[in-house]
Order: sequence, then C-alpha cells, then structure tokens
Amino acid sequence: MSTFKAKYLTLDKAVQALIWLFLIASCVLVLIPLAFMFTASTMPAIDILKLPYPWISDHFHWQNFWNAIRGPEGTFEFLRNTVNSLVVAISVSFFTVMLSSITGYGLAKFEFKGRNLVFMLIMATMMIPFETIMIPLYMVVTGMGMQDSYVGLIVPFVANAFGIFLMRQFLIPFPNEVLDAARIDGASEPRIFTQVVLPNAGPAIATLAIISFRAQWDNLLWPLLIVQSENMKTIPLYITKFMAETHSDEGIMMAVAVLASLPMFILFFTLSKYFVNTEGLHSSTKG
Amino acid sequence: MRKRGFSMEQKKARWGWIFVTPALILFSIFSFYPIFTAFYTSFYNKNLLSLRPPRYIGWANYQYLFTSQEFRESVINTAVFTAGTFVPLVVFSLILAAFIMSINKFQRFFQMAFYAPAVLSSVVAALIWLLIFDPRGIANQGLNTMLGTSGVNYHWLSKAGMLRLSTIIVYFWKYIGYFTIVFVSGIGSIPYTLHEAALIDGTNRWQNFWYITFPLLKPTTLLVSVMALIQCLKTFSTQYLFSSSGAPTRPINVITLNIYNTAIKDYRIGRASAMSILLFLVMFLFTWLQLKVSKTEEVTYM
Repeated sequence: MSTFKAKYLTLDKAVQALIWLFLIASCVLVLIPLAFMFTASTMPAIDILKLPYPWISDHFHWQNFWNAIRGPEGTFEFLRNTVNSLVVAISVSFFTVMLSSITGYGLAKFEFKGRNLVFMLIMATMMIPFETIMIPLYMVVTGMGMQDSYVGLIVPFVANAFGIFLMRQFLIPFPNEVLDAARIDGASEPRIFTQVVLPNAGPAIATLAIISFRAQWDNLLWPLLIVQSENMKTIPLYITKFMAETHSDEGIMMAVAVLASLPMFILFFTLSKYFVNTEGLHSSTKG
Repeated sequence: MRKRGFSMEQKKARWGWIFVTPALILFSIFSFYPIFTAFYTSFYNKNLLSLRPPRYIGWANYQYLFTSQEFRESVINTAVFTAGTFVPLVVFSLILAAFIMSINKFQRFFQMAFYAPAVLSSVVAALIWLLIFDPRGIANQGLNTMLGTSGVNYHWLSKAGMLRLSTIIVYFWKYIGYFTIVFVSGIGSIPYTLHEAALIDGTNRWQNFWYITFPLLKPTTLLVSVMALIQCLKTFSTQYLFSSSGAPTRPINVITLNIYNTAIKDYRIGRASAMSILLFLVMFLFTWLQLKVSKTEEVTYM
C-alpha cells in the first residue's frame, strides 16, 4: 500500500518546483502588507514615505506606540476605546455562549410540542443579514433608550442562530444516561445544565466564544449607528476618526493598527485550534 | 409521598420551553420585528428627525429607486465588486488548497500564513492598505518595478476603476486564507482509498485531480461560492473607510453604504428601508440557494 501512496505523492520534479514557487510567491505577497504594518509601526513618518520604502529602518522609533496610546491631545482616548471594545466583545461572547448553550441544550435534549418550529424559526434568522435590518434595528434600540450605551452595543448580538445551531449539534450526541443519572440523584434541571452539560461542552464553547469576540472586535457598522459620545467609542470607531484626520502621522497610524490587532494575534497564536473553525461549517452543510 | 400530576415527560417538556424562551424573545425583538418594520416602513415616507407621523406612499420608494441614477450606480458598484471579488477568491483558494495538499511539508505553515490577514479587523486592514495605496506607497513602487516604469502614479485611490480594484484587492487579501482552509479540509475529507483505486487503474496525477478530487469537491466549491458571494454583497467597512478618508465615494458607493448614508446622512428612513428590502430579497435568494445546494449536493464518499 505504501508504494501507492509514494507514487501518489511523487510528482514530476519540475512540477513540484513550480508548485513550491507559486506557494512561496503567493505567501510573500499575502504577508507583505502585514510586514509593512509591523515595520512601519517602528519608523518615523519620514522613513515610511521614503522612496523606495526602507524595509529596515536605521531608527527604531518606539515612540510611535507611546504616541498611539497617548493620542494627539494626550487624552489616552485609545485606551478608553480599547476598554470599551473589550467590554463589548467579552460580554457579547459570554452572553452568546450562555444563551446559545442553554437554547441548544433545550433543543437537543428536550422533547416538547413545537420544538421543530422553534428550531426552524431560529434558523430562519440566519436568512436575515444584519445589514438589511440595521436601520429598523437602530430605531428599535433608540426607541428603548439603549443608544450610546454598553447595553445597546451588546444585547442585539446575544441571540445568535449560528451559535445555537453549533451548540445543538454538539450536544445531540451527549449521553442521555448521564443526564438521567443526575436527575435520579435529584439534581434540578438548571443545575444539570450548569454542572453537567456546560463543563462538557468546552470545545464548542471555545469556538463560539472566539467567533463572537472577533465579530464584535471587528464591528464597525453598529457602533457607527448608535454611538455618539467620545467615551462610548469602540476601537473601529477610534480608527475611523483617526483616519479621517488628515495630518495623522503614518508611523503612529501603523502603531495603532498593531495595538488594535494585538488581542486577535494573541488569540490566534494561543487558540488557533478553535480560531479557524471549519468543523462548524461542514456540520452546517450537512444540515 | 404523593407527587404532583406531572409525568417526567411533561416536566421535561416544560423545561424545554423554559430553556428556549429567552432566545425566542431576543430574536423577536432584534430580528423578526426589525425585518417586519423594514417591510412596513418601505411603504412610508419617513424622516428620521421629523416628528410628523410617517405618510403612506405605497410603492413610491421602490419606484424612486428604480429610476434613481444613484441607486442604479450603487447596484452596479455592488455587482462589480461582488463579481470581481468572489470569482478570483474561489478560483485562487481552490488552486492554493490543491497545491498545499500536494506538497508534503509545511502544509500547516502555508495555511496559517494565508490565513494571517483574516486575523486583522477590517478597519485595520483598510488602514494598512490606505498607506500602501498612497501615491508614495509600496503599491505604486511594486507596480512600477513589475512593469519596468519609474515614478508612475497609478491613482489607486482616486481613479474610479483603480479605486474599485483597490477595494477588491483588500477584500481578496483578507478572505483568501479562510476559503483556502475550507477547501483544504474539503480535499482532506476525500478518502485516500478513492485515489488509490484510481491509481491502480493507471491514472496520472492530473487525471486524479481532475476526475476524482475536483468532482468530489463540487459541494465544497458551491458552498464556498455562495458564502463568498453573500459576504461580498454585504461589504461595507472597506468602502466606508476609503470614502471617509478622502477617496471619491461614487465608484465605491455600494448598496450597504448607500443605505447607511440615505438613513443617517439624509434621514430618509423609508427610502433606506426599501433599499434594505431589495438587498434582503437578493441575499435571501442566495442563502436559500446555499441551503438547497448544501442539502441536495451532499455526498457521502463510502
């Protein structure tokens, strides 16, 4: 058998070389903008706009990072906005995980009349892209007086059909005997959920938590609609404002870019297993 | 001890409802109600700031959109962006995935490298590319080196065509890795025994890809295509950021940007709702297609 495998894997030397060349070339092309961001973040602005671009500068201009954090007026607005982004992203991802797992558990392990209808209704919301309801949603949220607040930034994203689907699929194979044993021991249903089901849903929870954290860290459109005051701004809004200011220093701009990406890079390198989730995708194709 | 008249099943049914109710309430407020409101409002002349009650105007908002030059332009912009982005995305992610699976070292490294841009948020991506596309930036330098010209400014952010291309490049760059990984896992899920059988029948490597891998990847390809398509129709950040940092808005005024500006800058909620409904219908069509495709095209390999 192994000879077949070897044959299958052996390509013409020339073809193989071309494939490697293509992969390395595309890899370099894809990584250039990232390399640009990292190198430019440590350069004074004069160096960044030099022709040609000096990939390695003589001056290591670490002040960019300090200036990025301090802000042009020394208000440390960047920090304030980072805290906002963290509060929103962490809360959304926490509440999404809780709500999705409790709903997914209800749909996976409880027989009740109308269960399929409930499931279909929830799945139907996947057909409603956020972009098409943002204007009425904006009016709902302002009508409830939640504009310009953490609540308004968090609550509309907590019910997440994909998350519910993910948790339901994950919990369906969970052994019923374990649940029944806990019931016989006299554990209440909420207790079974928090002490038996949740601790066993780790991988699905991690995947979902990261997906929702990223979505909110990246969310521009919604804060753009409902945030008015400076101190409720999130990082995407901070960067937008920063870009619109014409006299921004390019080095500081890239330092802001690096700092704003830091949480994502940390997650990416520590939890890459859950970061790129194709399992959820493939299970969703299987319906 | 006498128990209340609930059987185990009834008790469980009750708990089932208790567990799903919070989600249903939230979906009603933040998904179902808004989409119905959008339908309803699209038949009214409603102004965001005006205190007068909105006036029923029938199909007038839709009639306006079908004759409006601006709306036609934003439909064209969205179509150009979507076609220009999703076709290269699907083609190149398939090629990259096939290549990655054909080498026997660094498979994971290449996947991670291509995925790296997706780690950044779209705002950061736009910020980086804004400097790259600067007249003195590395995009001009790179193109000048490649074409053997010197000091030519290609107007990445000012000429209509180039500006559109620029937004396409940003999007392509950001999503290529994700779709490559989807294809890699699609190719990886094809059992090796199928290739083996074909090899016994004397196929060569190319035939093997063309007659076995590629047809079996059809469901993945369709799924990726529709996903990429839907993703492109929703594009907002790149266009918004480029236009708000000084690039001309007209060539990149995609539908989402048009909805945002109509509602927030012009306060015309009725008209923006009508646009939202049209976008919704188009995307609904594609999402429905995606579900249909992923159900009927499902393959079990064994």
